[in-house]
Amino acid sequence: MTAKLPVKHLTLLALPLAAASLATLAQAQDWTPTRSIEFIAPANPGGGWDTLVRTTSRVIQEEGLADQNFAAINVPGGGGAVAWAQIARDSGNPHKLFATSPPIILVPLAGTSRHDHTAFTPIARLITDYSIVLVRDDSPYSDLNELFAAMQENPNLSVGGGSAPGSMDHISIAGLASAAGLNAAEVNYVPFSGGGEAMTSLMGGHVEAVITGAGEASGQLGEGSDIRALGVSAPERMGGALADVPTYQEQDIDYTFDIWRGVMGAPDMSAEAVAYYEDLFAQMLETDGWEQAREQLGWIDAYQNSEEFGDFLDAQKAQFSEVLSDLGLLGQ
Amino acid sequence: MESLNNLMYGFGIALEPMNIAYVFFGVFAGTIIGMLPGLGPISALALMIPITFAMEPSSGLILMAGVYYGAIFGGSTSSILLNAPGVAGTVATSFDGYPMAKQGMAGKALAIAAYASFIGGTVSIVFLMLVAPLLGKVAVSFGPAEYFSLMVLGLTAVVSLSDKSLVKGLIAAVLGVMISIMGIDLQTGTERYTFGSAHLLDGIDFLVVALGIFALAEVFYILLRGGGGKEAPRNAIGSLKLSRSEVSQIAPPIARSSVLGFFTGVLPGAGATIGSFLGYSMEKRLAKDGHTFGKGNIKGVAAPEAANNAACTGSFVPLLTLGVPGSGTTAVLLGALLIMGVSPGPMMLENRPDVFWGVIASMYIGNIFLLVLNLPLIPLIAKILDMPKPMLLSLILIFCMVGVYGMSFSIFDLLLLLGFGLLGLGMRLFGFPTAPLILGLILGAIMEESMRRALQISGGDWSTFIDKPISMWLLIIAALSLLLPLAKRGLTKMRSPAAS
Repeated sequence: MTAKLPVKHLTLLALPLAAASLATLAQAQDWTPTRSIEFIAPANPGGGWDTLVRTTSRVIQEEGLADQNFAAINVPGGGGAVAWAQIARDSGNPHKLFATSPPIILVPLAGTSRHDHTAFTPIARLITDYSIVLVRDDSPYSDLNELFAAMQENPNLSVGGGSAPGSMDHISIAGLASAAGLNAAEVNYVPFSGGGEAMTSLMGGHVEAVITGAGEASGQLGEGSDIRALGVSAPERMGGALADVPTYQEQDIDYTFDIWRGVMGAPDMSAEAVAYYEDLFAQMLETDGWEQAREQLGWIDAYQNSEEFGDFLDAQKAQFSEVLSDLGLLGQ
Repeated sequence: MESLNNLMYGFGIALEPMNIAYVFFGVFAGTIIGMLPGLGPISALALMIPITFAMEPSSGLILMAGVYYGAIFGGSTSSILLNAPGVAGTVATSFDGYPMAKQGMAGKALAIAAYASFIGGTVSIVFLMLVAPLLGKVAVSFGPAEYFSLMVLGLTAVVSLSDKSLVKGLIAAVLGVMISIMGIDLQTGTERYTFGSAHLLDGIDFLVVALGIFALAEVFYILLRGGGGKEAPRNAIGSLKLSRSEVSQIAPPIARSSVLGFFTGVLPGAGATIGSFLGYSMEKRLAKDGHTFGKGNIKGVAAPEAANNAACTGSFVPLLTLGVPGSGTTAVLLGALLIMGVSPGPMMLENRPDVFWGVIASMYIGNIFLLVLNLPLIPLIAKILDMPKPMLLSLILIFCMVGVYGMSFSIFDLLLLLGFGLLGLGMRLFGFPTAPLILGLILGAIMEESMRRALQISGGDWSTFIDKPISMWLLIIAALSLLLPLAKRGLTKMRSPAAS
């Protein structure tokens, strides 16, 4: 047994190494993966992280962008905290990536994860979605300012969202309210377990407004629909079914909110490995397969390389901390 | 007439050779998935999204829907044979199904489950077809206050589920509610009962508790009684045939539970598990022989099986007519439809009638496939019980552990499973009923969340629960269902001395 093992290792290593040396000649890369890449979705199958992991793995595979396999792995628990704790132990491993989005900042700020974004290596930001504020079609409010004026008068006016207080939907509406001149804590935010549940509550007239993802809502809007949109958190008008929805800024509220998604790696990944993945994902965004998948899922390209993404995450943390402390939800 | 034309159009799509193949493959895979714990319909469907990516949307949904209702159909098998529910929706089936199997009537229990599932599924497809567009409005009329009252009504079943000692039943129910609220509180973000462990932040999966308290505890109990030894194999299958009197006994429960299950399924957030419990406890209360429920009453198998399959079909109403998912499984289906370029919603009937009617027609076909597929398999599958006891017990152990580990790949969950197995054993030894615990676990979290949500919307005004008519009526029915048995008992007590 012991005699055989090194031999096995050698053969296992030899093939990818041969491939790697070819790749080095062709693309002048200093590092390429030597085995399968574990691509972790820190949640159950079916959610946003999982969709990102499976879609990117599939496109990379189909377009033949990488010599090595991308293996999608689900590690659910603690809103991501279980997976993060696991990955944080794997310092320097260049074959471990995970999908990420604002919870990597919000969950640690709420005090339920010991590891925040600074513990990991930023690889690239890939896509973004935006928040959208919805009301029923027969609602008396025709724009955001009317809604906020009513909220100021009646502090009970309820705004539903699909996630817990202090998480994405809440931060999005609270930040918007404070940009519109209200106190962030004045928003009577009613958390539902999922955007779908919040939406049915809006349709049934149980809450006055709902904040949710624009991509998720676009199928609900349009002719014959019971709901309409008051505003979207994008910096400029969006396309498709959302072309008629004014941005916050058009309504004189200086506020935007990104529901971004990207990829991070294990702590202290080498600069060469980071460069390889940066390049890989940048290439992937250019493929037809990606364009098709992205359009069907309602995603908007928002690429940032490792360095830009790292700075962006720091800025997001500062912005979120401010809103959370206004709300009194900052953990220890 | 118009729906008949539409249905014909739907059959035109569902009967295309490839689509028939998809229905067959879907329900077959679903049956297998349902029998095995761990790989539930949610994960199975999520894993199938890449397969359906390139398909026609109608074919993709036909396939995935087949997996979903196939899993609910097949889930009863392991509930009945091993006391280990394969999917959450079939827990209630084990209450009477497993005792029947122990009494040598496994074949009959499986056959009843198959017939009841078939009828529940088919009845609710008729409903789905005829009234789906109208029902969208019913689904959204349930807000937080209404959900709270519905859950209160559901919890009154504790009385009928705790046979000997009401106090012990209430203790079990409260324990169940406490387990249900473990993890991060959705309303405040506070951690409850997590003991600082990241593994408990999301709470405990329902199936870990159910497998521990039912299946594992059963294994422990048999071992403790020395039953693991050399007991001879028994011929445990029995006849599949139902006598005429048995048919007339289970027909009314199946009919009632099919309707009840369908409407429970329509409500977002309720679904197959709650539907099957409501069906079970309703029949237990209505039955003259209610005290034999839990000891192998055939009505106790028929009611939850009809209800959970009906609820499964009912959960397509909010998905197809409103474009909002009512459950985790339909959320994955919604995601798959979006990827295939179809947005379900009010406009779907006009924009994509092929998907809407094609799926409905395929469900009729799928249910027939399920019945034809399952009935001949019953004697084969039930042979499991012919195994020598030591092997059977090991099989149940492996089944539970693979199931739990396969869900989360977490050793921690295996320890939890063991813990709940011991809890279940303790409850059994000290005469605590386990069904109320499961009921509290299913209803507790939704009840609590809905109550706080309703109060947050009303600004802390409790009258919101009486001001809304649906909520008020649900509370009145809940109060009546608690008080009527008491009044009845009082009356019989007053009469009996006079009679004797």
